[in-house]
Amino acid sequence: MATITINGTEFQVDAKSTIIEAARANGIHIPHFCWHPKLSVSGNCRMCLVEVEQMPKLLIACATQVADGMVVKTKSERVIQAQKAVMEFLLINHPLDCPICDEAGECKLQEYAYQYSVGYSRFEEDKVHKPKRVPLGPNVMLDVERCIMCSRCIRFSEEIAKQPVLTFTQRGTHVVLTTFPGSELDNPYSMNVIELCPVGALTSRDFRFKARVWEMAATESVCNGCARGCNMNIWTRNNEILRLTPRQNEEVNSSWMCDYGRLETFKHVNASERLSGPSVRVDRELRSIGWEETVSELASELRGFRKNEIAGIGSAYATNEDNFVFQRFIKEVLGSKHLDLLPHVIEQVEDDLLIKADRTPNSLGARNVGIEPSSGGLSASGIRNAINDGSIRALYVLEDDIAADPEWHSVLQKLRLLVVHSAVQNATTALAHVVLPASTYAEKHGTITNFQGRVQRLQPAVATSETDRRMDGLAASRWDKFSSKNDRWGRPVKFDARPSWRILVSVAAALGTRMKYNTAEDVFGEIANVVPVYRGMSFARIGSKGVLSKSSPVPVKT
Amino acid sequence: MDILIASTKIAVVLAAMLTSVVFLVLVERRMSAFIQNRIGPNRVGPYGLLQSVADVVKLLMKEDIVPAKANKPLHDLAPIISIAVAMTTFAVIPFGNAIELFGTTIKLQIADVNIGILYILAITSLGVYGLTLAGWSSNNKYSLLGGLRSSAQMISYELSMGLAIIGVILMAGTLRLDVIVEKQTEYLLGWLPAWNIFLQPVAFITFFIAAFAETNRLPFDLPEAEPELVGGFHTEYTGLKFGLFFLAEYMNMITASAIVVTLFLGGWHLPYADMLGLSGFALSILQVLTFCGKIVLVLLFFIAIRWTLPRFRYDQLMSLGWKVMLPLTLANALVTALILLAF
Amino acid sequence: MGRDNGKMIRTKDLTFWQKLYLPEVFKGLSLTLSQMFKPKFTYMYPEERFQPPSSFRGRPILVEENGVERCVACGLCSRVCPALAIEVQASETELEKERYPVRFEINMVRCIFCGFCEEVCPEEAIIMSKEYELVFSSQEEAIFGKERLLTPAEQVRERLEFLRNSR
Ligand code: SF4
Ligand code: SF4
Ligand code: SF4
Ligand code: SF4
Repeated sequence: MATITINGTEFQVDAKSTIIEAARANGIHIPHFCWHPKLSVSGNCRMCLVEVEQMPKLLIACATQVADGMVVKTKSERVIQAQKAVMEFLLINHPLDCPICDEAGECKLQEYAYQYSVGYSRFEEDKVHKPKRVPLGPNVMLDVERCIMCSRCIRFSEEIAKQPVLTFTQRGTHVVLTTFPGSELDNPYSMNVIELCPVGALTSRDFRFKARVWEMAATESVCNGCARGCNMNIWTRNNEILRLTPRQNEEVNSSWMCDYGRLETFKHVNASERLSGPSVRVDRELRSIGWEETVSELASELRGFRKNEIAGIGSAYATNEDNFVFQRFIKEVLGSKHLDLLPHVIEQVEDDLLIKADRTPNSLGARNVGIEPSSGGLSASGIRNAINDGSIRALYVLEDDIAADPEWHSVLQKLRLLVVHSAVQNATTALAHVVLPASTYAEKHGTITNFQGRVQRLQPAVATSETDRRMDGLAASRWDKFSSKNDRWGRPVKFDARPSWRILVSVAAALGTRMKYNTAEDVFGEIANVVPVYRGMSFARIGSKGVLSKSSPVPVKT
Repeated sequence: MDILIASTKIAVVLAAMLTSVVFLVLVERRMSAFIQNRIGPNRVGPYGLLQSVADVVKLLMKEDIVPAKANKPLHDLAPIISIAVAMTTFAVIPFGNAIELFGTTIKLQIADVNIGILYILAITSLGVYGLTLAGWSSNNKYSLLGGLRSSAQMISYELSMGLAIIGVILMAGTLRLDVIVEKQTEYLLGWLPAWNIFLQPVAFITFFIAAFAETNRLPFDLPEAEPELVGGFHTEYTGLKFGLFFLAEYMNMITASAIVVTLFLGGWHLPYADMLGLSGFALSILQVLTFCGKIVLVLLFFIAIRWTLPRFRYDQLMSLGWKVMLPLTLANALVTALILLAF
Repeated sequence: MGRDNGKMIRTKDLTFWQKLYLPEVFKGLSLTLSQMFKPKFTYMYPEERFQPPSSFRGRPILVEENGVERCVACGLCSRVCPALAIEVQASETELEKERYPVRFEINMVRCIFCGFCEEVCPEEAIIMSKEYELVFSSQEEAIFGKERLLTPAEQVRERLEFLRNSR
């Protein structure tokens, strides 16, 4: 421990820390571009200059270790002058066209220009022009003119993503960021440089020019791309998800997210192949009918089977709540012992940073809440064989495209009744007799349990036809708040889908069993009562960062 | 024969009233516009003459909306009361002297009642029922407030009105309106017509002010003060029923002017007209025209006042009525009586 | 009238004649009546139209220059608009200004002609025109897209100059 004085106040700080870290730990902001807590110190932007007593020159706070008795000033006249000078230098060649730039609104340079700059330019000469719209890789676009040479992207690629492909070439004002010849920024984590970049030099090729940051509303949620469950924000505008960005959680994903998670886990939410409204197969064709008719028809169909003719397939994609109600439904309401789920594992993709081989977000959670055969019941492969030999004639599938597996696809046609909960049209819904449109993870409340056993919360970011953004407390931008039916932007696309647990509750009711759940929180309350590893948990306790449960990670078998 | 004459008179007077309302509305709109440096409605017909006709047609075509919680029968009855009162008041007003037609002398007055003034006071005070019922039956707080205001206002000013007339009655010594007019055809000092405006100036002023209040005209249009009460008692009226209120209001204006003319401005009397040596028939016609002309002048005055004085506050209205007008008229009646006694 | 310790104090006493009220009424009457003979301000509308000066704020339009809009779809007008009348959807072009509005809509029923959009625009791309005749027969018709908003710069020269001079 060391005692230092910052701006006249004494602080006890870690003796090994740098000034910028010590200040940050005590809530004092020292402006900086190139420094990042997760990256090595490079000290090239000079924005973090501070005055240290007894030192003849200003020091960079990011690379100066604290010493006992050090007296630091971050707002003295000299420091302010230095900050102004640094900003002026940075802006000499930086294009002053924020209206065109995609970063505007969340740009560090823009913010600092308001806070630490003089507010006008003395530079009358021509600016240096450099290449614009340079693709660095499949997902990242570079605008060299806007780059302020902080080297964060270079350090990230080297140190975190372990793919050292970026570098600077040329000197002075002509410095250009580029990839080494013949290489591309195509590592699985490449898009993290977009948030790291303090300016609009690096942008997402997917999201570029789609929306201004202030037009969107952000919802705290968890990525459903793999068993890690990276914390993230879902950014929506007009009820449409436009991008996902990582949310810091040191226990799970640090500050990062993989490109797969960012790009591939939300497109289906607004996709044209989304199912809207339930449908029932009549004469080989799926016909849309109302919820009530579907549920009562389904109930009467289900009554026509003996208990051991029915089986259920839970889902490692669905929430704990959905799976919990599902196992009660199969075991208690239908009285079947045959219940299991299908694992989705791709061993090759796993790495040491974030990506897990288990491609489902909730396999541990599904097991914990009881998705497994009762004693004497059949497991997944057993169910498949039993369907094949005709002893199981009805199958109820929760949010999983089991027909994508060719082995399953061939046997499913033998079923007399195939019921599927699904958000989108897929191979399974093509074979199903009853299709119930399920809300996606971005449309409902719920919890999922990652591979560590950490229970994390999902929150709705997209409204379905039965929810209302304002009334149901979804995050709302100014546009969402004040829209009316006469505005084109006030008529978002909404799908008629419901959370699986609610669909199951209504089917159970049609079969004569009342499950007293009104909200996902009610279901979780019961889970916390009856599932030992979740004892004592609640939505409030889980909060935005999740809670570690005592469940031991189960080995996922292929 | 009498019945025939009476019904002809009624028909002629009613027709004349209705047409004059139509033009009065237009005149009011054009004059208001001119006072405000505008032009006013000038598109329908030459000089906009048919504007009111178009408005009437519009009102007739409009849907009749009755609020869900309103008292339907009373809601329907209120405008009828208003219009009936407005129409009947005119009955006792002599709009000319007698006329010789086909050998019979016809009095130019619908009903020759010997208590004409009392009749007027009685009938006009019935008008308040129309407005109060309209306000109450609409089941709307603005309407109700408007209705209540109108009843309070009418009652307060009726008093001053009645007391102001006492002076006139004392002078004439009768309640017959035709006699009152007759008396005014004399000349004072040999040249000044003995109109009551000269003999009873205080009564004239107070009566005139009260007439403004009784007809709900600005500056006393509190029952329908738009900025405070939306539309007052007629907030919840549409189409034909609204039209009836509108018609009643303007008819009341005409009637009030006629009363003012009769009581104070010499009625049909055109000074020195009898010296022109006209035939009896022509003179009668001239007198009727004189009467109409006087009414028009009073009406124009009504309109001009509308754009001159701002609306009173309700407490000001009440204190003017009770603290100024009432004592003034009382004193006037007393002084008149004393003077008459003395001479 | 002034206020002192919560008590109203009449600072101007009325004269006897003013208190009598009637002379004042006649004074007022003569004023109103004299107005009747003053020149009128009415425009005989469809035949005779108001030609607004360049300071007039009619409906906002988008300036078109060399066949393309000046607008770069920065979204500032949309953000500043107090009535939320403007919706901008940006996209990328091959032109030098790489950003442009694929869709730019102003809901003229929402617009209150405040001119904030014009004031905030960094490109002088949205400006207030002289047009004040706005009639719609449906809500949908009141939403003006790019096709109705784009106006060649030559046609709005006056306003552009006015803006330059009043900066
Ligand atoms: S990087 Fe920042 S400062 Fe530079 S143009 Fe973009 S928004 Fe403006
Ligand atoms: S591209 Fe961005 S992160 Fe990379 S060096 Fe330039 S400014 Fe820094
Ligand atoms: S402020 Fe100007 S440049 Fe920006 S979107 Fe609006 S019109 Fe286009
Ligand atoms: S003039 Fe005002 S209200 Fe109209 S679009 Fe512009 S900013 Fe919005």
